[in-house]
Amino acid sequence: MILSRVKPAVGGDGPTSVSEKKRKNKAKKIPRLEDYMNQRDYMGAMTLLEFQDSGGIVEEHAGLWIGYCSFHLGDHKRSMEEYKALTLKEDCPEEVWVHLGCSLFFLGLYKEAEEAALKGPKCQMQNRLLFHLAHKVFSDEKKLMGFHQNLEDVTEDQLSLASIHYMRSHYQEAIDIYKRILLQNRDFLALNVYVALCYYKLDYYDVSQEVLAVYLQSIPDSTIALNLKACNHFRLYNGKAAEAELKNLIDISSSSFEFAKELIRHNLVVFRGGEGALQVLPPLIDVIPEARLNLVIYYLRQDDVQEAYNLIKDLEPTTPQEYILKGVVNAALGQEIGSREHLKIAQQFFQLVGGSASECDTIPGRQCMAACFFLLKQFEDVLIYLNSVKSYFYNDDTFNFDYAQAKASLGNYKEAEEVLLMIQNEKIRNDYVYKSWLTRCYIMNKKARLAWELYLKMETSSESFSLLQLIANDCYKMGQFYFAAKAFDALERLDPCPEYWEGKRGACVGIFQLILAGREPRETLKEVLPMLRSTGNPQVEYIIRILKKWAKDNRVAISFQGS
Amino acid sequence: MEKTERSKTKLINNQPYDESLDVNDSEEIASIYTPTPRQTVSRSATRIQNNMATNSSDEFEEDGKQKKKGVEGGQHGLSENEEEEEDDDDEDDDSDETESDDEEGEQGSAPEGAYDPSDFDHLPVTAEIKELFQYITRYTPQTVELDHKLKPFIPDFIPAVGDIDAFLKVPRPDGKPDNLGLLVLDEPCTKQSDPTVLSLWLSENSKQHNITELKVKSIENPEKNPKAVENWIESISELHRSKPPATVHYIRPMPDIDILMQEWPPEFEELLGKLSLPTADMNCDLAEYIDIICGILDIPVYKSRIQSLHVLFTLYSEFKNSQHFKALAEGQKTETPPSTHTGPAEADTLTLE
Repeated sequence: MILSRVKPAVGGDGPTSVSEKKRKNKAKKIPRLEDYMNQRDYMGAMTLLEFQDSGGIVEEHAGLWIGYCSFHLGDHKRSMEEYKALTLKEDCPEEVWVHLGCSLFFLGLYKEAEEAALKGPKCQMQNRLLFHLAHKVFSDEKKLMGFHQNLEDVTEDQLSLASIHYMRSHYQEAIDIYKRILLQNRDFLALNVYVALCYYKLDYYDVSQEVLAVYLQSIPDSTIALNLKACNHFRLYNGKAAEAELKNLIDISSSSFEFAKELIRHNLVVFRGGEGALQVLPPLIDVIPEARLNLVIYYLRQDDVQEAYNLIKDLEPTTPQEYILKGVVNAALGQEIGSREHLKIAQQFFQLVGGSASECDTIPGRQCMAACFFLLKQFEDVLIYLNSVKSYFYNDDTFNFDYAQAKASLGNYKEAEEVLLMIQNEKIRNDYVYKSWLTRCYIMNKKARLAWELYLKMETSSESFSLLQLIANDCYKMGQFYFAAKAFDALERLDPCPEYWEGKRGACVGIFQLILAGREPRETLKEVLPMLRSTGNPQVEYIIRILKKWAKDNRVAISFQGS
Repeated sequence: MEKTERSKTKLINNQPYDESLDVNDSEEIASIYTPTPRQTVSRSATRIQNNMATNSSDEFEEDGKQKKKGVEGGQHGLSENEEEEEDDDDEDDDSDETESDDEEGEQGSAPEGAYDPSDFDHLPVTAEIKELFQYITRYTPQTVELDHKLKPFIPDFIPAVGDIDAFLKVPRPDGKPDNLGLLVLDEPCTKQSDPTVLSLWLSENSKQHNITELKVKSIENPEKNPKAVENWIESISELHRSKPPATVHYIRPMPDIDILMQEWPPEFEELLGKLSLPTADMNCDLAEYIDIICGILDIPVYKSRIQSLHVLFTLYSEFKNSQHFKALAEGQKTETPPSTHTGPAEADTLTLE
């Protein structure tokens, strides 16, 4: 059942039933309407009604029956038409207006639904309908409370209230109502499914499965229940397990069966990791609330941040999932186009979700907090949150990228290097942020050679220039003067500014010091002299003189000694 | 905005790279090796100096000589030590969005294993070389601030479970409770009748052949949907099977099939055990052979043999479909002639002339 439809359903194609169904009824007796009702075979019932009609047999209230059947079949367009036609007749009972209102409600025609409902008699059903309409469109709390107060302590009204709780994400309140009614009416098996739906939303997938099993035991081919079971499997296991469950449902359904077909198509995309998303999801936007979010997720996975943003920018978030997605999209876009505004929004959304009572202990909630602190550059806090969910993301490139940056920012270069090297994603590996952090880790971990090789593999660009500066300075700081000298030498060739000369000068002397300390082979001196000479500074000769003197005293061969 | 500009500046790396603007006395040369007393220098002061020191490199170019180098070396030692002390603060400052970028002037931290000139104090070198060493500390490496990039986690796809029954539903027209949404979910059962098949079936069973417009759906992509095709075929043959057998109006009286199915007299049965019935190999033409067989089976033959043959095949069909005789035949493992099945269901009504 989709109550969350936003897009009006009328105007599109009505359900087309394809034929192929066998009725093993060998009795030659003409079946009675009641038989079809008991089996909830509304197609059969409607066929019978139409047949009787064409044969001149007049079933009492045939129009109402057709309306009833098409309504419960989920063909609200047909029931709407039927009821509309009935309201035009003179002897039309008043309640038909409320029935029409219900049909319009499910078609997403909320304004018309309200008009129709108000033409009907005051009754519980009318109140329930207006109650839901107030929640859905008019978001008028005062109105809502008015209808709320009109609700009576009868089962239907209480169940209707529970469904509002559910739609407002107040799952515990809904469960309380269902459990109370179940205690009084043990045979209300359907309520178990409602409870299972609530537990699903609360992320208690195991509990959901358990409660659901009660219903499936007596009605094993229930579409709603089997779909929920598939969703539980998706959360508990994987898409494959979920798809198997859904396949099961598709196999037992006759193809004239249109009910929940959109839901099933939607979920197949989900379970197949987004396969067919572009074909299936766009028409389902605003019909199935998750369709838009899933399309956003699809675009994010395709790295199409702009498209994702376009889809979600006008969405007013209400559920944690929506807040998270808006946060993610804003974070991605903010970094892509360098917009502080987007980053600010992202950080706020992340904080809102991660700090909420319902999400603070979920994995996405922790990820949100980590992302929030990351944007605030509070890496100690980032690590607290990432560490708490780390075990779920082993080998997850995205996770590791953030994790390594946080580690490295706090000076834990050893671990950061390990984590960075685990990343496989080419796009990340080619990102300058990745390369620069890896370079720093290498140098801090005394592997300057690897950093230098990383630089050598890069094409000349402003990024490679930056990397050179990083290598020069970090190596210098770490006393790895050989690669510091090489880097400064390269920098000076690209941009002969005095600063680079000073760096190179210091680094070259540093190499000399290392040689004297026995930490660098004496032969390295051979490379030092040409590096010094490439700069036309009077100090060069002074330094070279001292170096040569030492080389001579210590009988170290310097190739160009003679020159 | 401010921040991006700043970080750009930072990338250019033309920021202060030394902190030696403090005017130090030459006496302080000694402090190269024991820089600790200087820790108290406030960081903000350092920062300001840094900002002013952008062009300080010139100074080095000019001074070039030993004394001053010594001074700067001392300065460097100081700043390094200071950094160590302030390690903890660094993170806090980093988090401070607007401030964090100012800090590239100071080393972000003095990481483990950083160059420490005092490690080399013991080297037995000449004064000249020792002086040369001052060049090392004279350059203060910049702390290159690296950009961070948050790779936001992309949530899993979200399956849809639908909403809960809101009890906005129409009641049965006859006012009886349907218990939908209570005892069972308010959803149609998965096995819905096919309207076309059911219409055919209804008209067959009610003898009302009044279906004016029969909705026959076509199946899209039948090659991809063999199940639908098979189901259709099955339901139609099911329909045919359920039809009453065709009635044939014989012109001349014919015995009832049930009578024809009675047992032969015992003597005849006994004889059959020894003899076999005449086969089609008999030396006679088809018409004669039909007469003989019909004679044996008590089927009257009139002018035209067609009606007699119809009775004959009906009889055959009855035997063939009879559960009783099937079991009997299987029990005796008698060979049954290959069925040349001519189902009577193929024609609804047949009037033979």
